[in-house]
Amino acid sequence: MRKGLLIALLIGFVAYAGLNLAENVTPYVSIAEARASSSGVQVKGLLDKKIEPQQRGDKFNFSLQDEQTGETMRVIFDGMKPDQFDEAYHIVAIGKYEAADETFHAKKLLIKCPSKYEGQKPR
Amino acid sequence: MTGNLLLGGGLASALAAMTICFAQRIPSARLVKVTALISAGFITAASLLLWILIFENDFSVEYVAAYSSTTMPAIYKVSAFWAGQQGSFLLWLLIHAITGAVLTFRRTSAAALGIYFLLQSVLVFLVLAKSPFAEHPAQVFEGVGLNPLLQDFWMAIHPPIIFVGYALLAVPFALSLGTLLTEAASQSWLEEARRWTLLAWAFLGAGIFIGGYWAYKVLGWGGYWGWDPVENSSLVPWLLAAVLLHMINLARKKPAVLAQAHMAATFTYSLVIYGTFLTRSGVLGDFSVHSFAGSNIGLAIALANALVLIGGLLIILIKAKALPQGELYKSYSDASFIVLLSCLLIIFIATIVWIGMSMPLLSQMFGEAAAVDSDFYIKSTTPIALTLAALMIYTFAKFARMISLGGKVAHVGFLAMLVAIIISSRGETITQELQPQAKASIAGHEVIYEGQVFQEDETQKFYVYTVDGEAVRALTKLHGNGTDAAREPAILKSFSGDVYIAPHAPTIESVQELMLTKGVFAMDGELGYTFNDAHIDYDDNGNPIQATAVITITDGDVEEVIHPMIVVTPDGGSSKSLEVFNKRRRVRLTGISGDLDKARLELLPTYERLSTMPITATISTKPFIWLLWLSVAAICLGTLLAIRK
Repeated sequence: MRKGLLIALLIGFVAYAGLNLAENVTPYVSIAEARASSSGVQVKGLLDKKIEPQQRGDKFNFSLQDEQTGETMRVIFDGMKPDQFDEAYHIVAIGKYEAADETFHAKKLLIKCPSKYEGQKPR
Repeated sequence: MTGNLLLGGGLASALAAMTICFAQRIPSARLVKVTALISAGFITAASLLLWILIFENDFSVEYVAAYSSTTMPAIYKVSAFWAGQQGSFLLWLLIHAITGAVLTFRRTSAAALGIYFLLQSVLVFLVLAKSPFAEHPAQVFEGVGLNPLLQDFWMAIHPPIIFVGYALLAVPFALSLGTLLTEAASQSWLEEARRWTLLAWAFLGAGIFIGGYWAYKVLGWGGYWGWDPVENSSLVPWLLAAVLLHMINLARKKPAVLAQAHMAATFTYSLVIYGTFLTRSGVLGDFSVHSFAGSNIGLAIALANALVLIGGLLIILIKAKALPQGELYKSYSDASFIVLLSCLLIIFIATIVWIGMSMPLLSQMFGEAAAVDSDFYIKSTTPIALTLAALMIYTFAKFARMISLGGKVAHVGFLAMLVAIIISSRGETITQELQPQAKASIAGHEVIYEGQVFQEDETQKFYVYTVDGEAVRALTKLHGNGTDAAREPAILKSFSGDVYIAPHAPTIESVQELMLTKGVFAMDGELGYTFNDAHIDYDDNGNPIQATAVITITDGDVEEVIHPMIVVTPDGGSSKSLEVFNKRRRVRLTGISGDLDKARLELLPTYERLSTMPITATISTKPFIWLLWLSVAAICLGTLLAIRK
């Protein structure tokens, strides 16, 4: 391929991919950092067992607890309670914290179950 | 132990085959054949041994206990072989070794065979690094069994098909490096490389598509592709292998393209190993919905990856001067220009997917960990894929006679796939709570929820719906304790597309639990319970098998004695529910204290109550989704057709 054309295509692609990336990347943060951030983030935590998860209409509510600090945060997930939620040992909530209602609004939940693809360690 | 010895034999003979190939002074053709066959024989024997251990329920082997159980049907015992990482690697190695033996009978150059057996040695080493034959640290009498989601025909055949693709991509890589080492400018490797790459590409593609079909039909989230790292890590080598195919084809006519063909071969195989590293080393533990147990094998795979990538690129660099130079194309309307441009676009798509799936790793290197969401992939790749489709249509219009029949079928398949992806995503979706016999309508279809039907042995149940007058059932597999293990959707297929119903977990009213003490009367509000006695049965070795309680239930007039049980399983125990007192109650024994003085009884909703409970379901339409399955089949069949020439 002629060099000029190839370089132009490559520069175009790098700019294009970079812009898309900047728009869609979500950093991985703690609950405290999620509270302080105004953009999209991913928070990992455990289910706060003190508060019963609830499905209200098509919104699912639960409380997420930081593994290290024990800090908790209310999460509203825009959807139905995911399968295997009860078996989860980790929950990753992807979304944005809204200071107005002091709640993390999750677009997506990743449920980490020990048994999904790898076998459970037999006891 | 025997398994590891067999693998050791496989390693020694693979190393011997490699050494003979590289020491070219020995007239070695027959010796190479013999050592390659011995190596393949050892590895086949190790694989057969793993199957035997699975079928004999030998739970002294940790892998067997983790992925098999005495109650699994034969087909899933066969597939339990590759249910975990260790077995998957052994399967990969098995296919690699058999292919290696075949290569020695196909006039493959000694240098290429040397590279191939070097890779085979690395693979045996990886299998041994985390062996499927490792002993179980404890004594168990029943295995955990295969995850119920994976107990599906398509999921049983998906891994071997993917691994045939992975294993066969080692052939063009070895042929390329072998040629570079001996007669760099030669084009003689291209025809053989073309066939093997086509075969690998068809299998890898089929594996990816089968995985998508399984996700659609079993997982119930309504899609077939989630841009998960595990999916992406097989997509990237598939895209690169497509580039490799086109470079090989072009290089057969234009020697100047040989450099690109060699680079494509190295990058394709490197990305096969890289994908394995990403998904099997545990580095992505927090970023993927596929939970792979983290393992310390990551470093070994990373080293293998570095060996393939750096080794390959170094050889290409050293031999670059010996490669033919020249014009790649005459003008922008040249067929070769269009092919090169298209391949550049495929590389762009592969790069985007690679960046996305590697983001957790890359971002950690430069600061805080971060990940991308699926929007990134869709938004960034769509315009490139559409440009690619336009170039393809242009090529068809202008250069149709240059494309073989298989090539035509595969490319039309690809275009049809893009069309099907777009059309099938244009359906409607509703999420609604439905009382039994209630109707919902979506896109002109009428959906009636009929209720739940339980299978007698309580291993599964069905949510029954009627769609446009036709009955469809959504299967839910149940755990031993009666909770949902895997909830599949109900799908009504028709020419205009699928109606896809994914039931959600029923909102079970709070389950009441009674703690009973021996001889003490307890009430649940309506009925009275007395825990009379309990006993535990032991096997010949003195291990507990099951615990049984004897409980009397009464409403004041009538008495009924029940004998609920808990069966001991590797992960604690499992118990079935009993319908008692003329089906007025459903109870389940969930625990007995060590001194047999206390019992815990769960009061569950009766089957009748369950079958009349309202259920929330997400109902969607997937217009003409059959075109998607048809088009991907065309891609694979066209590719296979192109092999013969």
